[in-house]
Amino acid sequence: MASPAPVRERPKPFLLDEFCKGCGRCIEACAKNCIEVGHEINPLTGLVPVVLNLDHCNACGLCMDACPEPYGLRPEAKPKASEDFELQDPAKLFGERASQRPKPVAIPPEIVPLPKTEPLVLKGNYAAAVGALLAGCRHVYGYPITPSTEGAELMAKLQPKLDGVFLQAVSEVATVNMMYGCGGAGLPCMTFTSSPGFSLMLEGISYMIGSEVPGVFVNVMRGGPGLGNIAPEQADVKLACRGLGHGNTHAITLAASTPQEMLDLARLSFELSFKYRNPVILLADGYLGQMTGKVVLPETMVKPGLPEWAVFGDAAHRGNLISSIYLDEKDLENFNVHLNEKYARMQAAEQRADLFLCDDAEVLVVSIGTPARMAKGAVEALRLQGVKAGLFRPVSVWPFPIDALKPLLPKARRIVVVEASAGQLEDELRLALSHAGLAVPKIESVRHMGGVLPQTGEVVKAVLSREEVTA
Amino acid sequence: MSVFYENFERHSGGLGLKAHATHYCPGCGHGLVHKYLAEAIEELGIQDRTVAISPVGCSVFLYYYFDVGNSQAAHGRAPAVAIGHKLANPDSIVVSYQGDGDLASIGLAEIVSTAQLGIPITVIFVNNAIYGMTGGQMAPTTLMGQKSATSPYGRTAAMGLPMKMAELIAGLDGPVYVERVALYDAKQRIKAQKAITKAMKLQVENRGFAFVEVLAECPTHLGMTPEETEHWVKESMLPVFPLGVKKDVVVEPHGAVPAPSFDAERLVGLVGASAEKPPRFMKGFPEHLGGKDVALKLAGSGGDGAQTAAMLIARAAISEGFDATHIPSYGPESRGGTSYADVHVAEDEVLSPASPHPRILVAFNAPSLAKFAPDVVPGGTIVYDSSVIHDVPKVAEGVRLVGVPLTEIAVDLGKAMVKNVVALGALCAATGLFPEETFKTALRQALKDKCALIPLNEEAFAWGVKSVTAPGN
Ligand SMILES: Cc1ncc(C[n+]2csc(CCOP(=O)(O)OP(=O)(O)O)c2C)c(N)n1
Ligand code: SF4
Ligand code: SF4
Ligand code: SF4
Repeated sequence: MASPAPVRERPKPFLLDEFCKGCGRCIEACAKNCIEVGHEINPLTGLVPVVLNLDHCNACGLCMDACPEPYGLRPEAKPKASEDFELQDPAKLFGERASQRPKPVAIPPEIVPLPKTEPLVLKGNYAAAVGALLAGCRHVYGYPITPSTEGAELMAKLQPKLDGVFLQAVSEVATVNMMYGCGGAGLPCMTFTSSPGFSLMLEGISYMIGSEVPGVFVNVMRGGPGLGNIAPEQADVKLACRGLGHGNTHAITLAASTPQEMLDLARLSFELSFKYRNPVILLADGYLGQMTGKVVLPETMVKPGLPEWAVFGDAAHRGNLISSIYLDEKDLENFNVHLNEKYARMQAAEQRADLFLCDDAEVLVVSIGTPARMAKGAVEALRLQGVKAGLFRPVSVWPFPIDALKPLLPKARRIVVVEASAGQLEDELRLALSHAGLAVPKIESVRHMGGVLPQTGEVVKAVLSREEVTA
Repeated sequence: MSVFYENFERHSGGLGLKAHATHYCPGCGHGLVHKYLAEAIEELGIQDRTVAISPVGCSVFLYYYFDVGNSQAAHGRAPAVAIGHKLANPDSIVVSYQGDGDLASIGLAEIVSTAQLGIPITVIFVNNAIYGMTGGQMAPTTLMGQKSATSPYGRTAAMGLPMKMAELIAGLDGPVYVERVALYDAKQRIKAQKAITKAMKLQVENRGFAFVEVLAECPTHLGMTPEETEHWVKESMLPVFPLGVKKDVVVEPHGAVPAPSFDAERLVGLVGASAEKPPRFMKGFPEHLGGKDVALKLAGSGGDGAQTAAMLIARAAISEGFDATHIPSYGPESRGGTSYADVHVAEDEVLSPASPHPRILVAFNAPSLAKFAPDVVPGGTIVYDSSVIHDVPKVAEGVRLVGVPLTEIAVDLGKAMVKNVVALGALCAATGLFPEETFKTALRQALKDKCALIPLNEEAFAWGVKSVTAPGN
């Protein structure tokens, strides 16, 4: 007879009572009946651990394989578990631990000079796409919706040529979550959408804010509610400024009014998004998205780095976590306090406004987006007629640029808000005045909805007649 | 096992027992699946590259345990989040770990579309036939007759039949590997571990999307002992959810993905920017057209070329150093309706880009002329296609009407499409907006990729000019 095969040394199971939940899966697994239901409650856990009697144990290991606990039934330690074992340190019990979490490192972004070029003639949506490319965005996710689609279309055309990614998602819900993944990996990403699509993204935006994930949303607003139409409106101002999904959420919300600004603000959005680890919303209206105009390229572009908090999927960032869950109430309160501090920093540092003939203005016209262009025309016309009018154009709608407005108020006897919504911009103005402790003057309005835009002549008339024009 | 944290620090600060015991109920299948995933990561040596996506559900805290990159996703959205991570770093190994409520219910669209996309991602799907975290409600995978908090009298057909995800996913073209495994005995556990390792390996080899459905036990909400649940899974779940490989195709690995480019020259070229200065032909702004801002409207049916002509005017203005805007009406015209464009040319800055009261109107059909002619300001000019428009509406005093047989001329030239360029020639001659050279340069610029068309267009333009300046007009 051949000599018996050498018996492999296999360890028998070892159990630390504290780590056993008494589920009994190991009992079921042991053919040798080495494990029994326990009868004594472990005072530390309040659970009843199983009892091992390894006399007949052949070290088959099946019980260990059946245990759902990572530190439950384990191969017997070698050398045998000593008496001074510490509960918190199974490393001592089960041998050497392989690795430690590396310390995350940050790779800073690079500023790359651009060659000087002649002005381009670009549609607003295209200009925002070019702005994103210049900001180093090589990951674009989207779902088509008029009147924002050209942005996605240009990205679909250009990203592959830059070895970047354009992916048409199955929905806006998927889109924003792809952004959550990409932003969580520490890279700049964006989408183009329009009102109904933006609504669908709000859940994801709340998660991004809750996990401090950057990403840029270009919302080319159209007429609502519901399916509404594809004409220009500004009726998502409230959604962007006050309604970004559930919870205590805010994001810097910028409003462009020319194709040039679509490019410049898209670029800025990325910078701010990473500066604050927060999404940024760039608002345009259907008119601006479609509007072609002159666009001058900047002098530099950005090659993004990798922030230290990124979950990139490499050794340097292995210890990182992107998550928005805080089960402990106190922890979540602290996190929200942290968010509020961040919002306060945004409010202090990121107010932006464009002032036109405001210094001596007795009538301040307040407007954003395309209506602001109409309003600017009106201000020029009013000046020709001797009316001291000025245009106050918030470029950041949230935070509202109240610091720039404040010094104008003593002279301004009247404020006229021109907007393509039923007063959402006016609400932001009123809130900002109120929060700043300023008396709210009488506010007049020129409003339209449904895709009708306030026109220059109408604004002039409204100012001259002192009458409100409402749709 | 090194892939598990030595201390579950994220679990209540990793103090006391929480440092080494999971948050799962006694006997819960999640713990076993975690072990297999950790073993697979360890075996494949990919701990540094792995990103684990935790779902919503009992395993929402997967990141407590795994010493890899971690990302926690919204309910059902883990596959979309996984795509974001994978495409950000194609070298990363991304695992989406999901329960049956998460994957088969709220996130059904995300899992199906991600699977069909087929990019290498691994999905571990824990099917315990019930919602765990929210307290034992009916899942899409709940069995017929099974009682749950939201099917207290047992699931009936009116609530839908159990959803067979492995079969559904295997029916798609995207995935390369789909298997359903179980945990109820030693043999099944070995198979489960192998399947999870294989699903991860396929990603490491860059082969494609892999999906492992694990029939797992939820003793708490099935209201049984862990041992009983093992039997229940075997006896009750198996007939509905048969185990085994549902799809396993051998494909070549995907090629390497190049790193994104940040080459300035390449980018500038792609967006069509150039350092070449366009020639200028104008001495000053055409103030004879009523000031420092000229409003135009071009209107016709979709296909008349109104938008292209409008864009050419804007381009021409900008290359002359002015500001210009073009706004198309859009939407229905792509389905054959009318189409119009508002154009402004301004010396410094276009303020109001709309043209409710244009100075210049180009009308390609009768409805457009009827609609917009009355809005043209006194002193303005209307160019219309006299080949198709015979009734001319009343216009304001001092508005000049210039009828040009745009269609006829274009057809004579052999291409009806160029009637918009004929119109531009007529507009040029009738209004003196820009010199002819300005228009022609813009035309050549626009056609630089279709050079063969330049002579025809130049001829069309010349005919437009001639039809206005010729004696008799
Ligand atoms: C949008 C949304 N809807 C509902 C919930 C509540 N919710 C949390 S967990 C869960 C069920 C999870 O069940 P399953 O995916 O089967 O995982 P298990 O708990 O069984 O592990 C639900 C409905 C949520 N978190 N988010
Ligand atoms: S190793 Fe095998 S024989 Fe020994 S207790 Fe475990 S299952 Fe029983
Ligand atoms: S399987 Fe693990 S947790 Fe369950 S009884 Fe056995 S040792 Fe305890
Ligand atoms: S509720 Fe069910 S699925 Fe959730 S931890 Fe408990 S046993 Fe596991």
